[in-house]
Amino acid sequence: MRKTAELAVPCGIVLLLVYAVVKKVNIYKAFVEGAGQALPELVSILPSLAAMLAAISVLRGSGALDILTRALAPALAKAGIDSELAPLLILRPFSGSASLAMLRDTMLVCGADSATGRAASVMVGSTETIFYTMAVYFGAAGVNKTRHALPAALISGAVGAAVGILLIRIM
Amino acid sequence: MMMWIFGGMTAIGIAFYIADGQGAEALAALLSGCSQAVELTLSLAGAYMLWMGLMNIAKEAGLIDRLAKAVQKPLGRLMPNAGAAMAPITLNLAANFFGLGNAATPFGVAAMKLLSRGDGIASDDMCMFIALNSSAVELLPTTVIALRTACGSENPYDIVLPTFIASIAAAAAAIFSCKLLAVAKKPRLSARRTQA
Repeated sequence: MRKTAELAVPCGIVLLLVYAVVKKVNIYKAFVEGAGQALPELVSILPSLAAMLAAISVLRGSGALDILTRALAPALAKAGIDSELAPLLILRPFSGSASLAMLRDTMLVCGADSATGRAASVMVGSTETIFYTMAVYFGAAGVNKTRHALPAALISGAVGAAVGILLIRIM
Repeated sequence: MMMWIFGGMTAIGIAFYIADGQGAEALAALLSGCSQAVELTLSLAGAYMLWMGLMNIAKEAGLIDRLAKAVQKPLGRLMPNAGAAMAPITLNLAANFFGLGNAATPFGVAAMKLLSRGDGIASDDMCMFIALNSSAVELLPTTVIALRTACGSENPYDIVLPTFIASIAAAAAAIFSCKLLAVAKKPRLSARRTQA
């Protein structure tokens, strides 16, 4: 399983490059153009990342985060979820940089390759910042009656997170 | 919204420090958080360049357009009244699939504008589009992979397959709940009720 994933990604890259050359794409130019957007994008999220990492840093360092996770632990334990995932579950729908910062914190505390670290990774990868997406898209269309968009998106996110956590436990 | 999350987290954290009589440590923790953001940005930069470069090759090779065409028919069944919005919808989902969030957003905004009937009420198709969008079906969760590498993971790619399966499950749940809730929340019915 691990070996397959390790081989699949480089093989996919080779296939992509060959396909692009066949399609007469200047792959060097295309790569450079794409890579050129990386730093501006990272710099644009840096301030919000700094704000969230500062907030998580005081919350974790002061022991307040431990109290929160311990308070939520019994309820989550019933659902079979590690309480270390609680802050991430709460932040995920609101902000991409906050969940990125929290995912990093969780992986540094529990270990990136621990079951918790992997479950957190899957959860962030398979869900979206629902509230942010809705605000941008509905805002653009001038919609204020969002009907069932939010419940459907939240159900979808909950299913994604639950399936992810379950898969990590059995895989 | 973010104001309350940020404010709440920071205020509670600092209050806990002060209750412990550790004002100086609170300041150190805040500063360390901001410094970590700079370090994190730098440690993600390499991976971001690699993946955004490769994904841009995929885009230039026309893979996004091909995927958009391939999913046009099945998506048309999910959003029967999308009409002209179908093209930007498929391009948005295809760009998201290749991890090109920046390229995806303009298509998404264009799609929502085309779907809008100007009455400020979300249509069934809009709700379906938003729900599908929030299930984040992505070829490779490159940001998470990069972050795992930065956090010292020995197998950063471990999570690729479970992430993909979980996303598909989320998309299926989005479709099901949208179709069910669309029947339950017909706009005409809610309009007949007195305004809540």
